[in-house]
Amino acid sequence: MNGTATPLVEMRNIEKYYGRIHALQDVNLTIRPGEIVGLLGDNGAGKSTLIKVLSGAVPYTSGKIRIKGREVTLRSTSDAIEAGIETIYQDSALVPQLSIARNLFMGRELRKGPRFFDWMDQERMNEVAGQLLKRVGISKDIPATTPIGALSGGERQAVAIARAMHFESELIILDEPTNNLGVAETQGVLRFVREVRNQGHSCIFIAHNIHHVFQVVDRMVVMRRGKVAADDLDPETSSIQEVENIITGEHLAA
Amino acid sequence: MTDTRTTAKSATPPKGPGALKRLVAMPEFAPMVLLAVMLVVFTAINPAFLSLRNISNALTFTVELGLIALAMTLLMTSGEFDLSVGSVFGFAPVVMWALFNTLGLPLFPAFLIALVVALCIGMVSGIFVTALRIPSFLVTLGMLLMVRGSALWLTSGFPQRTWDAGEQWLAAVLVGDFYIGGLRIYMSLIWFILIALAAHLLLTRTRFGNWIQATGGNEGAARNRGVPTKRVKLILFMLSAAMAGLAGIISSIRVSAANPNSGMGYELEVIAMVVIGGTVLTGGRGTIIGTVLGVLILRLMRNGIVLIGVPGLAYNIFIGAIILGMMALHAGLERRHNEGT
Ligand SMILES: Nc1ncnc2c1ncn2[C@@H]1O[C@H](COP(=O)(O)OP(=O)(O)O)[C@@H](O)[C@H]1O
Ligand SMILES: [Mg+2]
Repeated sequence: MNGTATPLVEMRNIEKYYGRIHALQDVNLTIRPGEIVGLLGDNGAGKSTLIKVLSGAVPYTSGKIRIKGREVTLRSTSDAIEAGIETIYQDSALVPQLSIARNLFMGRELRKGPRFFDWMDQERMNEVAGQLLKRVGISKDIPATTPIGALSGGERQAVAIARAMHFESELIILDEPTNNLGVAETQGVLRFVREVRNQGHSCIFIAHNIHHVFQVVDRMVVMRRGKVAADDLDPETSSIQEVENIITGEHLAA
Repeated sequence: MTDTRTTAKSATPPKGPGALKRLVAMPEFAPMVLLAVMLVVFTAINPAFLSLRNISNALTFTVELGLIALAMTLLMTSGEFDLSVGSVFGFAPVVMWALFNTLGLPLFPAFLIALVVALCIGMVSGIFVTALRIPSFLVTLGMLLMVRGSALWLTSGFPQRTWDAGEQWLAAVLVGDFYIGGLRIYMSLIWFILIALAAHLLLTRTRFGNWIQATGGNEGAARNRGVPTKRVKLILFMLSAAMAGLAGIISSIRVSAANPNSGMGYELEVIAMVVIGGTVLTGGRGTIIGTVLGVLILRLMRNGIVLIGVPGLAYNIFIGAIILGMMALHAGLERRHNEGT
């Protein structure tokens, strides 16, 4: 938490209206390089909206976003991906009919031979994909030629995370990645998140389950009713009860 | 914590039976079986079915619809389809022969212009679908009517004269014939084989092929990864219109008539060929091999039921039944696949 390095992402005074719903009210969020931030809050608090703004998926009403000190306008998800911000929703980022390797390299396929033939280098794509799968810890016995449709929810997330890591996304955003996952798969996802940090990427991790968040993050940000209620909770020093109180607003009632 | 996965994995059978299972799971498997059954049944009832003469006859006409089916396979894999191919099939030769007959243009430039016109038709459909986001069913239905109407209006409904003096090298290149042993082979068949091969390689081996499948499988995801999904669809609409035009021109040379009414209803027959072959109407999965099988199935069915003495008028009953049967089969396989058994 040294304030000297340029933050990776700075969101300043973000406002967002959905018609008359004021979904984000003067939200400020800073993410430093290599930091894993847990984003918490009740249903409807505005977590998804905030990260959709940051990933270019929805336009915002006003405010500024800086990435590595440079002001940016994110008009589309591909703008954000270009800027090094990759958001992983369950499933939605992969093509179920295509193989793991083809998904990993989608839009950035490796090629061989004369450009005119547009030939894909499938052998090398499969090989690199195999190594990547090992790196994120999904293992030995799933060949890179397996279609995504044959994978479990956790494995699909692993593929999406592996892809973000391989293409050097600096910030990987996971919106409720552990929803609908079994115990073993949840552990898998948490392991990928740690791996993300070990490789020097930053991560925003949104989850309902506070326990999951406590296990992996460096810092917690809590949102309530469209506002940031707390943004520097340290999992080492705060208790789960304290954080829960902030999420529900109990601490104000007292 | 990895046990669940390990056990699930080891439950899938090793090598031998696994290979068989993969074969059955292939989208081409069902059409392959159907084709084999047809060959056996028809030949058993009437051995003339397998004669060289019959096969060469059957193959001739095949390629005209087949060419369109190849392009339609790619388009459908990207998640769209084109109902206007039948009318482009009628319109392109009318344009070519009108230029040749009335303007006195040499045949080759007239041919090129007709193809460019077809490309433009495909481009307009593609722009409506991708830029205005109108479903391809409606766009290409409108296009079907406009193009057919143009062909009828241009010709006042009368067929164009297609032949004027002498040998045309273009005609020889497109529909000329030669013999291999007793088998009469038309050039159009060679074109069909070459284009089928190219389409197969394009779809399975090239980056563009990956983009086609990604666009049809999950367009949003593909776009986010930088795949130019709109351009992919636009190109495929243009390709399918151009193929329809080429097929129409080949047909007009073969039958020596450019009738503004020709190609009516072909769109449905082409789509039938493609889906019987295992390509999915909703996109994401397509197979050129399957389409070639689908083309052969429909063609040999038409030919076979006549040879075994069923009235030709009953043809559509069989085609309809095959489509329904195949769809039921594919749906069943798909469900089993998804349930992971
Ligand atoms: N597309 C939308 N249109 C209108 N209102 C929306 C839309 N998406 C979210 N909202 C509203 O914005 C608020 C914040 O929602 P969201 O960001 O999804 O919360 P969270 O992810 O924290 O549960 C809620 O009141 C929700 O109803
Ligand atoms: Mg949410």
